[in-house]
Amino acid sequence: MKTLHLPLQRADVDALVLGDMVMVSGPVTMSIGLPTHQRMVDLLDAGRPLPVDMNNGAFFHLSCFNQEREDGTGHDALYLNPTTSTRYNAYMPRLIEACGLRLVGGKAGLDQASAEAMRRQGCVYLSFLGGGCTLLSRAIERVVSVHWTEYISQFRLLTLELRALGPGTVAIDAHGNSLYDQLRLQAQQRLDQMRQER
Amino acid sequence: MAITSEQIACLIADLYEWSLKAIPPDTRAALAGLASRESSVTGRKTLRVMLQSADTARRTGGLVCSDIGIPTYSVRIGTQVRFDGPVRQAIVEGFARMVARSDPPILQAVTNPLTLVRGHAGKDMPIVSFDVIDNADYLEISCAPKALGTGRWEALTTFVYPTLQQMEDYVLDTVMLSGSQACPPIVVGVGIGGTFDHAARIAKDAVLRPFGQQNPEPILDAMEQRLLRTINQLGFGPMGTGGDSTAMAVHINYAASHGFVPVAVSLNCWINRRTQARLYGDGRVERIE
Repeated sequence: MKTLHLPLQRADVDALVLGDMVMVSGPVTMSIGLPTHQRMVDLLDAGRPLPVDMNNGAFFHLSCFNQEREDGTGHDALYLNPTTSTRYNAYMPRLIEACGLRLVGGKAGLDQASAEAMRRQGCVYLSFLGGGCTLLSRAIERVVSVHWTEYISQFRLLTLELRALGPGTVAIDAHGNSLYDQLRLQAQQRLDQMRQER
Repeated sequence: MAITSEQIACLIADLYEWSLKAIPPDTRAALAGLASRESSVTGRKTLRVMLQSADTARRTGGLVCSDIGIPTYSVRIGTQVRFDGPVRQAIVEGFARMVARSDPPILQAVTNPLTLVRGHAGKDMPIVSFDVIDNADYLEISCAPKALGTGRWEALTTFVYPTLQQMEDYVLDTVMLSGSQACPPIVVGVGIGGTFDHAARIAKDAVLRPFGQQNPEPILDAMEQRLLRTINQLGFGPMGTGGDSTAMAVHINYAASHGFVPVAVSLNCWINRRTQARLYGDGRVERIE
């Protein structure tokens, strides 16, 4: 299976096709906090930098248990797992373009406004396995940085060095195509047809 | 002999922990069956990763999913059971004990809806329903942690003199809304009739029914088959990235009602968390699932 090594260039993600399964290695930033997303957008609106540079990088909706070591020498990440990305639809178009993201992900996808932002930016959405906690957590190498530690663990802005996270399924590509939109439309058409035929 | 608070607290903690670290055997078998029949390449691969994930968690004692949900228990009390000590307090203590000892530690999921403050405890937590079993000499406890992935899509509406078709359409519309988002293949539990609260309760009972039990009501047996067939023709597939494995099962309960008929739809994701055990007066624990 192909492994995407971060950071990535536009050509790297342009080549990815819906349904491709890939692994991801390198520094990945994550959070599942709505307040975290709001804070990121507020900083961008104020023209101030985010605490992490994600240009050509990845921002995933992964829920991670992380904690400070008792001896105060840093943080450890115990496990991670994706959550439903659609909760963050309102924030993602801004973050995708302003942060220069090449990969976003989690599970269940993003809306059309995000897909359009991804097309403009050159970015794909990866679907990871919900209920993949122990399997996916094998990719954790080390904690790179933890910001906003006043939040609960999974809401912090966390960057981990990962090795072969995945598999992730390319579910929204860098050309505006969304598997989720296609499948939802197909399902509605099939349901309408079944209802007409009964 | 009487069942003690300590015995209840121990079982409450164990049931939750068991539910977090493995999927039910019938669910694993259902997923393996789907993997052998799935026509989509992506869907087939995703189902295999699901099996790998569940097996890895079981083998290593890790969590299947990091969203450990909020605690919900169903307690059925045999009428021959005697208690030595408080029961509800033991349930609260048992869940707190599981939180304190959990390895790995669990994330804070219990959320105050008024302040959005999160923790491991909160008002009415754990959510417990009680019922009785006539003449039984045991306490039967089921645990079904409820997480965000499916919890946000469960729904209830109240009809007046509905047709079977109207009720089926409501179930299908609810599944359509959850679409790719509820970590399919899902289990769909439906409660028809009774009152507002009772319909939700029997829908939850339905979603937790083990696979392979035929519905004793022929009308509902046929409805379950129709709905399962239709849902699996929608194409959402495993994790909602395409395929014909969108649901593992549809289970329907009903109760007599008035001219108004509540219909509740409960959903479980592919890991289908449910554990159940019986606790006897001599302290013996019989694990059902």
